[in-house]
Amino acid sequence: MAKPILEIDGLQAGYGDVQVLWDIGLSVNEGEIACVVGSNGAGKTTLLRTISGLIEPKAGSIVFDGEEIAGARPDEVLTRGIAHVPEGRRLFKGLTVEDNLLLGAYLRRDKSAVRDDMDFVLDLFPILKERRLQDATTMSGGEQQMCAIGRGIMSRPRLLVIDELSLGLAPRLVERLSEALIEINGTGLTILLVEQDVMTAFDVASRAFVIETGRVSMSGETSVLGEDPRVREAYMGI
Amino acid sequence: MDVFQILLNGIVLGALYACIAIGFSLVWGVLNVINMLHGSFIILGGYLTYFAWHYTGIYPIILLPFVALALFALGYVLQHLFINKVVTAPVLTTLTLTFGLDMILYNLMTVFFTATPRRVTLDLGTLSFGDVYLPIDRLLGMALALVLTALLYLVMRGSRIGRAIVAVRMDRQAAALMGIRVNQVYSITFGIGALMAGAAGAIFAMVFPVTTNLTGVFLGKAFVVCVIGGLGSVPGALVGGLALGLIESVAGYTIGPQNAITVGFLLMLFLLVVRPTGLIGVKGYE
Ligand SMILES: Nc1ncnc2c1ncn2[C@@H]1O[C@H](COP(=O)(O)OP(=O)(O)OP(=O)(O)O)[C@@H](O)[C@H]1O
Ligand SMILES: [Mg+2]
Repeated sequence: MAKPILEIDGLQAGYGDVQVLWDIGLSVNEGEIACVVGSNGAGKTTLLRTISGLIEPKAGSIVFDGEEIAGARPDEVLTRGIAHVPEGRRLFKGLTVEDNLLLGAYLRRDKSAVRDDMDFVLDLFPILKERRLQDATTMSGGEQQMCAIGRGIMSRPRLLVIDELSLGLAPRLVERLSEALIEINGTGLTILLVEQDVMTAFDVASRAFVIETGRVSMSGETSVLGEDPRVREAYMGI
Repeated sequence: MDVFQILLNGIVLGALYACIAIGFSLVWGVLNVINMLHGSFIILGGYLTYFAWHYTGIYPIILLPFVALALFALGYVLQHLFINKVVTAPVLTTLTLTFGLDMILYNLMTVFFTATPRRVTLDLGTLSFGDVYLPIDRLLGMALALVLTALLYLVMRGSRIGRAIVAVRMDRQAAALMGIRVNQVYSITFGIGALMAGAAGAIFAMVFPVTTNLTGVFLGKAFVVCVIGGLGSVPGALVGGLALGLIESVAGYTIGPQNAITVGFLLMLFLLVVRPTGLIGVKGYE
């Protein structure tokens, strides 16, 4: 039986007096690629920020690998094994690609394993090897997304959450990144992908959760949801 | 006076100015805090060095690392207890807070140390090359200032904490996602700023007399150097410091020392208008 690595229940969160998440419940199974889709402003980014500890939840629980992590600090969440690739890449300006990747491994003390993971990332995205000593924010959008994903992997997480993989990227690049995600997933890393582009998300993920105004409105296998007329009409424009 | 002598004086002074400004620049660039305590940190470093030398006779160069560490601890604690509470507030709030803390520190120093000028006398003699003279204690001060500047540069460029400081400066949320504890990095950064100020003070006490009356002067110099060189970079502070040192030295000779400081401030105003990023406008803390 599939074993959940992340279980969220009754989660409520927001910014100050503005409540954004009203009742989120979802679970991600160990080893799978799951996705969260929804239109602009549905609360996807807010959900990820709450998971990684940037925002304190108002209510509800987030259980990761059997432990409650709701309200934990970002560094504690990362230590437990959740890495968050933020919307818009957010690479550090003025630092090289290599330094950005090393910052992903900031909390790790196992230097030789960090080297191995660096090699893994540079083999996964060979263009980063060429750009190693370049200011990361001077690269193209696709290259920056590769670097951001690589930075997430560098913490050697058990769950990688990615916010808007395809944002602003050409279809060919999105395909290339999707393949990379499947390859990373093949090493045993669980992935939770947040996307506005439902087609892309359903291509790589096996299960999906649809968020509408801070609530999960639909969920299930992507192969089934992809045939659902409501989903097709609302999110795929078919 | 010989033109080489004027330039040499300017470079010696400039290296000291760079050392004065570097911690101020780091704190301003990373925390967005204009640290009004900086001048008092420098004088405190100078006084601690003087009194430790006076009572124990230990050579001031050996005292310098201990004075610097003491100042680091003081800076870390002040940031941790007070400034972190308001660090995200507008710059005027933190400026007011550091101004208040500075009044306390300044008055405590005046009470404990009095404002009598103090100087460590090393009696190292003077080098001469033809008409050009260079007291060896000044040469030593300049060398120490440059070594410290280079050390900070290496730390910022090549170390784990250096990377974390730059990351926090550029994007504190993304830095938090890397597992960096932002407030802790703020405390360390402020500590490093105080450490550099303390070290600069220790060097100053070997070269010129220090007194609490100078805290405002030092703060002003740090400010001017940052604006001239560009905020938040070691090379910026170095270039700004050397530029100010040379300008003051040349102006002091040509139009009189009483006007030299005015020229420095005029240059700052001029740069603010034509090139607000300073001579070395930088992206990261390099
Ligand atoms: N820092 C903030 N302060 C206040 N409100 C915010 C903040 N960030 C987001 N919001 C609000 O929260 C709601 C959800 O935003 P969120 O970014 O989570 O949506 P999203 O699903 O990620 O959208 P998108 O697809 O555009 O990325 C929006 O109404 C937004 O205006
Ligand atoms: Mg979003």
